[in-house]
Amino acid sequence: MSKLIIRNVSKQFPGTLALNDVSAAFESGQVNALVGKNGSGKSTLVKIISGAQPATSGQVFLDDQEMVFHSPEDAIEKGIATVYQELSLVPGLTVAENILLGRFPMKGPFIDWEQTFAQAEAHLKSMGVDINPRTPVHELAMWQCQIVEIVKAMSTNPKVILLDEPTSSLSRSETEILFNLIRELRKKDVVILYISHRLQELWEIADSCTVLRDGLLVGREMMADMSQQTLIRLMFGDVEIRQRPADLSFDERDVILRVNNLENGPRVRGVSFEVRKGEILGIAGMLGSGRTELLRALYGADKPTGGTVEFVGRTIRRAAPVKTKALGIGFTPEDRKVDGLVQILPVKDNLILASLKRQSVGPFISREKEKAAVDAQVRNLDIKVSAVGSAVSELSGGNQQKVVVGNWLNNQPTLMLFDEPSRGIDVQSKQHIFKIIWDMARQGISSIVVSSELEELLEVCHRVLIMRYGLIEGEIVPENTSIEELYSLCIGGDDL
Amino acid sequence: MKSAQMKNILRKNTITFILLIMVVLLAVFARGFLSVNNLLSILRSMAIIGVAAFGMTMVIIGGEIDLSIGSTIGLSAVLTAWVAKQLQGALGADWAVIIGMAVAILAAALVGLFNGFIRVRFNIPSFIITLAMLNVLYGLAAILSSGFPITISAQWFNVIGAGRIIKTGGFSGLPVASIWLVLIFLIVFVVMNRTRFGREVYAVGGNQEASRLSGVNIAKVKIITMVVSQVTAAISGIILASQVLSGSPQFGRGYETDVISAVIIGGASLSGGLGRTTGTLFGILFLGVILNGMTLLGVDDYVKYVVRGSLILLAVILNTIQTQKARHTL
Repeated sequence: MSKLIIRNVSKQFPGTLALNDVSAAFESGQVNALVGKNGSGKSTLVKIISGAQPATSGQVFLDDQEMVFHSPEDAIEKGIATVYQELSLVPGLTVAENILLGRFPMKGPFIDWEQTFAQAEAHLKSMGVDINPRTPVHELAMWQCQIVEIVKAMSTNPKVILLDEPTSSLSRSETEILFNLIRELRKKDVVILYISHRLQELWEIADSCTVLRDGLLVGREMMADMSQQTLIRLMFGDVEIRQRPADLSFDERDVILRVNNLENGPRVRGVSFEVRKGEILGIAGMLGSGRTELLRALYGADKPTGGTVEFVGRTIRRAAPVKTKALGIGFTPEDRKVDGLVQILPVKDNLILASLKRQSVGPFISREKEKAAVDAQVRNLDIKVSAVGSAVSELSGGNQQKVVVGNWLNNQPTLMLFDEPSRGIDVQSKQHIFKIIWDMARQGISSIVVSSELEELLEVCHRVLIMRYGLIEGEIVPENTSIEELYSLCIGGDDL
Repeated sequence: MKSAQMKNILRKNTITFILLIMVVLLAVFARGFLSVNNLLSILRSMAIIGVAAFGMTMVIIGGEIDLSIGSTIGLSAVLTAWVAKQLQGALGADWAVIIGMAVAILAAALVGLFNGFIRVRFNIPSFIITLAMLNVLYGLAAILSSGFPITISAQWFNVIGAGRIIKTGGFSGLPVASIWLVLIFLIVFVVMNRTRFGREVYAVGGNQEASRLSGVNIAKVKIITMVVSQVTAAISGIILASQVLSGSPQFGRGYETDVISAVIIGGASLSGGLGRTTGTLFGILFLGVILNGMTLLGVDDYVKYVVRGSLILLAVILNTIQTQKARHTL
């Protein structure tokens, strides 16, 4: 039997203590769930165990041997395997090649293909997986890739396997198949650490559960002895939800957006709702619930696969960004660094990218208009920048997000779609972004906000829709909903 | 602080300094290098590469590439000459060549439209599309001309590429070809720096997805840049045809290398979003000075290839180091 022991581990980041004196022990033969909301220190702990980051203080022991890693490769050699949620398989290679990548059986200077396929097949068989090792990975479905990933990790005979959100991109039935595989793992001598946002799954697959909150280990129990209510309470503690300003009102009858049965592939399966002028609508849901895909289909970032959208009295057909922008919709993407900004261009160019037409006279950009638009946003949004001509990549996360928002405000939208507007920015900037959303609402600009931070949705929005598996499963009003209630609606719990 | 600043300036302008050093060395060692006539002849000799290079600048900043322009130069020369020959009887030599030029430019625009359409419709890298078109266009030019040069009989046509204006005693005149070079430079400069479209080209090249999500019509931007590069290449082809009063499919073979080199030496990044029109002008001058200097020094033709290739490689290495450093310090 193997045992992973974490002793007094702390991790200090500039400005925050991500892990505060955490101690825990995990044994093989069971699935150990690691739970915590964003910013709880859960990911940091995973990184320390997998060797991706060193701890500031404290130790990690595996079978009484202290683990000190010089690199993630070193960690693998010492028996720690990690399966990340972003898959790391090479699509052009076969399943066998992917499993044995970097350690092919050799015959002199050449790869022994017979052995390669035989060994890969043996690894797959030993886990009870029925996938042909000769299949190229790009022909596999997502869940099969996830399984190959786990087989690959297990083929190094690890002592510890970390499963980071393995089900986040899988459907219910695919998840079932993956669970069978994980149950197989339980029979082997390996410590299983299971990280998932889908709390509901834990009762199905996990044996024990370790809860982190604000860098502290706040609870450790067997799943059988824990109710959903207790778990959520452990995760959130006593949160005080701030109220949005009282003057934010809107006219119930003034509907500007009507969404009917909108579809976006398998991720959004027929969603209908309405938004009124000046209303702030939140969309809550777990990772993979389809909340991001809903916004993308609405804006036309992904081509919707079904349904209709009516906006200010006009029906949007074949939505595409050029079209929806012209109608007055703006969209700030989830990953602002990659999709929201042109990093190599200066702040000022990024602030007028969406509104170039407004800043131009005929084909020419008007310097006066451009300067006025840029200065207005820098001033109103309080963007901290030494010179508007400096590269946008020099700015902090919060200021970058303000640039993304400012880019849209310059185009004077009537409806803003915010995907994770507060991700990766500090508390002050967060409050500032909320204030911008409220100020916009006062001017009659409606917003739809998608966020994985439920307390933020409760603070910012008039109304919150709950999404699960691509469908809207409920609607709440922040005034009479607690965060525990909202969370359990998101995970689809029945016992609350 | 002072020396750090100097170092920074030196690092940022390494290639400029190399050019300056070359100019000084050539001024000392190559007789006649610094004369006005020689400097103007550098401009004239670089007109064909240069005109096409400004179109290429737009394509490269937009994150694409056009390898087919060498053949476009040949095809447009052949088309001008062929159309002129066909229409000569009916319209007279003068009008025939004018229509020939128009046809050549229109054909190039259609090729660019086709390249761009394939690029955005099937999402195939422009590298591959234009590599294929390099062969297709060369073949078309060869078929049209049966592989032989077609002569152009309108003598005035020679002025476009080889003419000189404002001749005085010791001054051999301003080469007309260099006027086209400057004209195209000015147009591309204004488009890239002053217009909405130019800004969109930078944005699309810098981050296609962010531009798309900002509601920029990226298909339009890509297609237009690919049309522009074909049209400028066609103008280069016409200048070349004018200089020798004929059109041959052999014209322009391999010119894409020099054109792309000039753009890259000028500091544009092949990954898009980075580059300056003035940089390309500089790249053209850099290439011109090297070639001219080596000719004046009587360097062997084969040695010229080695030197020129090595300098291009050096320039690109220096540029890459700079942009990497710039990105790190960002």
